[in-house]
Amino acid sequence: MPHPSDGLLRRLADEPDGVADLDREHVTACARCRSRMADSEADALLVEAALRFDVEPDVDAAWNRLLGATAPAAAPVPARRRFALRSPVVAVIGVVALLGGASAAAAGDWLQIFRTERVAPVTVNQSDLVALPDLSDYGTFRLENRPNVRNVEDVGTARRITGLPSPQVAEFPRGVTGQPRFFVGDQIKAIFTFDRTKAEQALGQRLPEPPPGLEDSQFSLTAGPGLAAVWPEARGVPALIVGRVKAPAAYSTGVPFGTGLDYLLTLPGLPAPVAGQLRSFQNATTLPLLVKSATQVSFTTDVNGRPATVLASRDGAVSTVVWVEKGHVNAVGGTLSSDEVLDVARSLRWKR
Amino acid sequence: MKQLSIEREGAVPASVRTDLEQVFRAAYPKVVGVAARVLGSRDEAEDVAQEAFLAFGRTSVPAGEAVGWLCVAAAHTALNHLRSGRRRASREEAATGAGAVAPDIADAVITLDERRRVRAALSRLPRKQAIALVLRHSGLSYAEVAAALELSPGSVGTTVRRAETALRKELGHASPE
Repeated sequence: MPHPSDGLLRRLADEPDGVADLDREHVTACARCRSRMADSEADALLVEAALRFDVEPDVDAAWNRLLGATAPAAAPVPARRRFALRSPVVAVIGVVALLGGASAAAAGDWLQIFRTERVAPVTVNQSDLVALPDLSDYGTFRLENRPNVRNVEDVGTARRITGLPSPQVAEFPRGVTGQPRFFVGDQIKAIFTFDRTKAEQALGQRLPEPPPGLEDSQFSLTAGPGLAAVWPEARGVPALIVGRVKAPAAYSTGVPFGTGLDYLLTLPGLPAPVAGQLRSFQNATTLPLLVKSATQVSFTTDVNGRPATVLASRDGAVSTVVWVEKGHVNAVGGTLSSDEVLDVARSLRWKR
Repeated sequence: MKQLSIEREGAVPASVRTDLEQVFRAAYPKVVGVAARVLGSRDEAEDVAQEAFLAFGRTSVPAGEAVGWLCVAAAHTALNHLRSGRRRASREEAATGAGAVAPDIADAVITLDERRRVRAALSRLPRKQAIALVLRHSGLSYAEVAAALELSPGSVGTTVRRAETALRKELGHASPE
């Protein structure tokens, strides 16, 4: 009988059952073939060691990434639905709001569970951004009051409608001139009710057992009213925007939030990097600002002693600084450098 | 089940095959493992696996052949990355020990430099040999490798053996003979 081929000996090392009995018996009886087989096994072991790279990927996170990549790049989304249900900010605030450990300021039957005392950046890449959860996947999300952002005649009208003071800029950056236009927006109010069955249907898998009471509770998210002064550039692009909005807050009908602390952050659908950053906030007073890593950079600083976050386009053409002051979120932005928006922010006065 | 036929953000578009999620969840770790063996980097391996699944999503490859198809696609793409020098040295996780290389006998018998050399050598092998080798060392059976590469099961052993001999020579290890 001829000696078996190298290929057959190689298979014999891996899958003895895949080799004919006659060949197996030959190798057992043939010293030369046993030696060849030993060589084959030694080479296999060496290559196995060289190529070995054990990986335990996060399949959920990877699936979300793929979803982001398969989403149509320019899928038309009705503006209203996008605002109501897909706004990443709304979604993330919702998640943060459902975290526990917040202050307990009673508001009628509603318990305040989230109030904005500071802002902090949350960096997301494009696929994470697309994969951010739609709150309507987790239950029912109803927008009761819409912002109805509109241009008003003058600063006095803006103050009267919103009850907010108007900004006064001490010194304008180069290129910003003329009189501003004023915009106002009404208070937004949205009600969210968690629905486990709906969430499981939307996500295509069973969810972990929710904390007691979560399924029976409602959550109210509010923000606004807001006011903004806008100085246009010659090309119509805002050169400078200075705005203030009553800070977002969230209320609940009374679920024990401490027990639900990590629940929503562990649900499938929220990209792991985003969940990790939100989890690190460890309180319900930090408003996350989404930073799109592909196009934006951010850093933290302060505006007159208050923590602030600066977001800037990677090319440096557009910058915004956001900070929280006495229950309001303030922002200064425009086609300006980070230094310029910070200079404006630090010299602002507010007129009632 | 998730409604895969409806185009909305956060869902698989209707233009993508409807069994994608099921296949993905079942096969993703194996496909990443194939690419990781070629590239020695978890991040790059996951990038390659994503590419493979994106391509798979647009095909009509039968579900029963999905794993083999995806593993071959991942190996091809990873080898292309190696060959075209698209790799970033900074992401060579093994170099920093950040990778998930098990600190076991494998580390005792082969050095980091040897790992790099074997991957460079892998990129120079005939493509079918390289893929057969990687698939086999990623745990695919001889029958699976044969089906994926349209080889006879008998020739898989020959192909893998030739590749291993070539790599051993590349590493400068003397033949055990």
